[in-house]
Amino acid sequence: MEILAVLVLTGLVVGYFVLAGCDIGLGMLMPYLARTPGDRRRTVSAIAPYFLGSEVWLVGAVGVVAGLFPELKSGVIVELWPVFTALLAGWLLRDAGLWFRGRVDAAGWHGAWDTAITAGSWVLAVCWGLVIGGLLSGGAPLDPFSLVCAATMVALFALRGAAFGAERLVPPPGAEPRAALRGALPPARGGLAVARREAAVNPAECADVAGQATRVLARVALGGTVLAAGAALLPGAAAALERPQAAAAAAVVVGVAVAATAGLSGPRLSRHTSAVAIAVPPLLVAAAVELPVVAAPAGTLALVVFALAPVVPLMIAGQVWLYRMLRRPAPVSGFFA
Amino acid sequence: MFDDPLLLARLQFAFTASIHYLFVALTLGLAPFILASQFSATVRRDEARMRAVRFWGGLYVVNYGMGVLSGLVMELQLATNWSGLSDTFGYAFGAPLAVETMGAFFIESTFLGLWIFGWDRMGRWAHLACFAVVTATAYASAYWVLVANGFLKNPVGFEINDGVAELTDPVALAANPSALLALAHIANTALIVGSLVIAAVSAYHLARRNDPDGMFGRGIRRAALVFALSVFPASITGGVQFAFSEDGPPTSGLTYTAEEIAAIEGAYEQGGGVATGIGTAGEVFMTLSWLLMTMLSVVILVVWLFRGIDRWRWFLWPMVFTPFLPYLASIGGWIYRETSRQPWAVVHHLTTADAMTDMSPAMAAVSFSLFTAAFAALATITFWLLVRFARRGPDGGPLAPAPERDADPAVPAHTF
Ligand code: HDD
Ligand code: HEM
Ligand code: HEM
Repeated sequence: MEILAVLVLTGLVVGYFVLAGCDIGLGMLMPYLARTPGDRRRTVSAIAPYFLGSEVWLVGAVGVVAGLFPELKSGVIVELWPVFTALLAGWLLRDAGLWFRGRVDAAGWHGAWDTAITAGSWVLAVCWGLVIGGLLSGGAPLDPFSLVCAATMVALFALRGAAFGAERLVPPPGAEPRAALRGALPPARGGLAVARREAAVNPAECADVAGQATRVLARVALGGTVLAAGAALLPGAAAALERPQAAAAAAVVVGVAVAATAGLSGPRLSRHTSAVAIAVPPLLVAAAVELPVVAAPAGTLALVVFALAPVVPLMIAGQVWLYRMLRRPAPVSGFFA
Repeated sequence: MFDDPLLLARLQFAFTASIHYLFVALTLGLAPFILASQFSATVRRDEARMRAVRFWGGLYVVNYGMGVLSGLVMELQLATNWSGLSDTFGYAFGAPLAVETMGAFFIESTFLGLWIFGWDRMGRWAHLACFAVVTATAYASAYWVLVANGFLKNPVGFEINDGVAELTDPVALAANPSALLALAHIANTALIVGSLVIAAVSAYHLARRNDPDGMFGRGIRRAALVFALSVFPASITGGVQFAFSEDGPPTSGLTYTAEEIAAIEGAYEQGGGVATGIGTAGEVFMTLSWLLMTMLSVVILVVWLFRGIDRWRWFLWPMVFTPFLPYLASIGGWIYRETSRQPWAVVHHLTTADAMTDMSPAMAAVSFSLFTAAFAALATITFWLLVRFARRGPDGGPLAPAPERDADPAVPAHTF
């Protein structure tokens, strides 16, 4: 029973990182990818439907911690109190931006809430980095090792966002892609500068910029992973890591995943590699850090299992339905952006 | 004031919970109305009625956004500021919250997303089913959160082992009368909130002789009917709570002996118990506005009888301001309920002071100023948006069919 609860919690957290990584990362990159008001509108309408479905994974995880692992809650959350407070503030800011942005049609209003979305996304990514780093280092989120881990996490979030943007920011088939203009420019092999210039003429092509960015970000994440693995070997750095093999395996998996994206093959693989890479850190924490998890008493488990078993199919059906529906291009409902 | 972490934490909780409830009450109150009108629009395949659903649904979603924002803070605030509660009672108090987040919020948010983005993409029955799920889960989340809250007031179903409460009787917890009675009263009064908001918005447009497709005439009649039917039962569903709140919890004595309990409560009363005064004020507000609403319901019925309900301006303009009454009553009722529990966080088991996280005054002050200010700002903006969209009417609502925007391609699409 205890292992089931741990699996559910890990599943929720990993699901959150993988799914919310997309919309958080895209929010982080918004100022870079989307320069014109039209681009920003498209970027927000790429983010918005997803955040409704992805942040509930975190809400669920918080609930599970509160209900089944109260010791974990007082241990971890109280220990990292400032980080979690900042994380909550960032979450609030970002959600406020997403909910409010589309409500008033004025450039200043859009600009202000776009800033909130971007700032909130950065705060979230940085704080999650610090949480992961803090947990791996045994409660010292500001140690060099934790900071390297945090920076790597931030790069992974951005990578996930770029991979997501490379797909979601492509205009729908019917839309006029201004192909003529694109043909007039040299192919975008030369890296970001060219893509940047191209996007400046061709607002429909933020996706290209995002695609280019995946390589750079993957290289940064690769560097971060190597550094973190190195720093973990320093005496006393990764104090909380109980199982070095797990940590080594995690570093290898992240390394390989981002290395596969860092090459010149384009962003195609990055959707999968970024998902793998961002799923690993929470898995590593679950596998290799001795957290204060105690089996919940039978009564509590019975309540949770009996109350939840009937609705699990609805949870799954809703998520699958939402993600499937959003894959089809359609006129924007106009709600969020 | 800024050097007493306990006071700050209590004030912060009171403030954020009140704000959360302001929006949640409207969520709970509007959902059944929207579900009913979408059902009738779906059965009749009536485009005009569907436009009305889009209008009320727009208000619902704007309001829901703030419910989510404030709910998140509530959840995390329990974790950061009230860790004493989860240290001792985590397994009992936290379990219903766990069920609530997974079994209710998770589904509610996902299906609301489906509902918002599915307007033109799914079949009309599937779309209706999405909102039915949203409505059901909204009430499910109210139920589970009240199970958690009812446990604080009437702790049942557990044993204390090694100083930690172990849930032994989940059925007793789920059937806690303190939770069920509150759910009945809240479902009842949320309908009052919802119906008066609908009546007020409809009255505003009717007074200006703006009634597209007859939607506001329908709105005010339905709202008036539901309002008139739910005012009186509120005194019954609430009144039985008075009777209940007299007795101590059945688990009294598991943690403290009767003498210790008497000593703690005595010391609290010695200390003046400002909270008790505030609580009494809350109770007075609630009953007073109930009295006013009872009279209001009579006025409405008489006006309706003389066929003035969608015409008489002297009646319609004041109607616009009536939602203040149920909102005041709701906050008053909660403040009464929560302060009457003092000095206990969990009655006869855990004092509020012990429930709080060991925070330095600086931490408490930072958390207090940060979230209080953020909440005030967010709530103000949401309120302003709600009023703005309510006044604009069906053409300018957030869920109104998107106007053909020129050139820029509306939604990005996957290419894989
Ligand atoms: C439209 C709102 C509204 C109205 C008109 C009333 N109430 Fe109420 N009342 C609430 C909204 C509310 C509430 C916000 O929903 C509360 C807070 C907690 C709860 O269970 O419901 C509440 C709580 C509450 C409690 C506290 C329960 C406790 O301490 O456990 C009592 C005793 C009553 N009510 C009694 C009444 C009576 C006798 C009313 C009429 C004469 C009445 N309420 C009208
Ligand atoms: C300690 C108390 C509470 C906590 C921790 C809490 C937590 C939350 C959270 C986290 C959300 C957002 C979930 C999402 O992402 O969709 C939420 C929304 C909601 N809460 Fe609460 N809540 C509390 C009190 C209440 C009360 C007293 C009620 C009603 C009686 C209530 C009913 C709801 C409902 C219906 C929603 C969904 C609708 C909306 O967001 O407007 N909650 N709450
Ligand atoms: C159903 C979910 C709720 C839960 C689980 C809950 C729980 C709590 C907790 C843990 C505290 C702090 C400790 C204590 O004072 O005992 C508190 C205080 C308080 N809550 Fe709630 N609450 C809920 C809903 C609400 C709502 C909706 C309101 C709206 C007005 C509210 C008003 C207050 C007030 C005024 C206090 C301060 C009481 C005082 O310190 O004197 N609560 N509540």
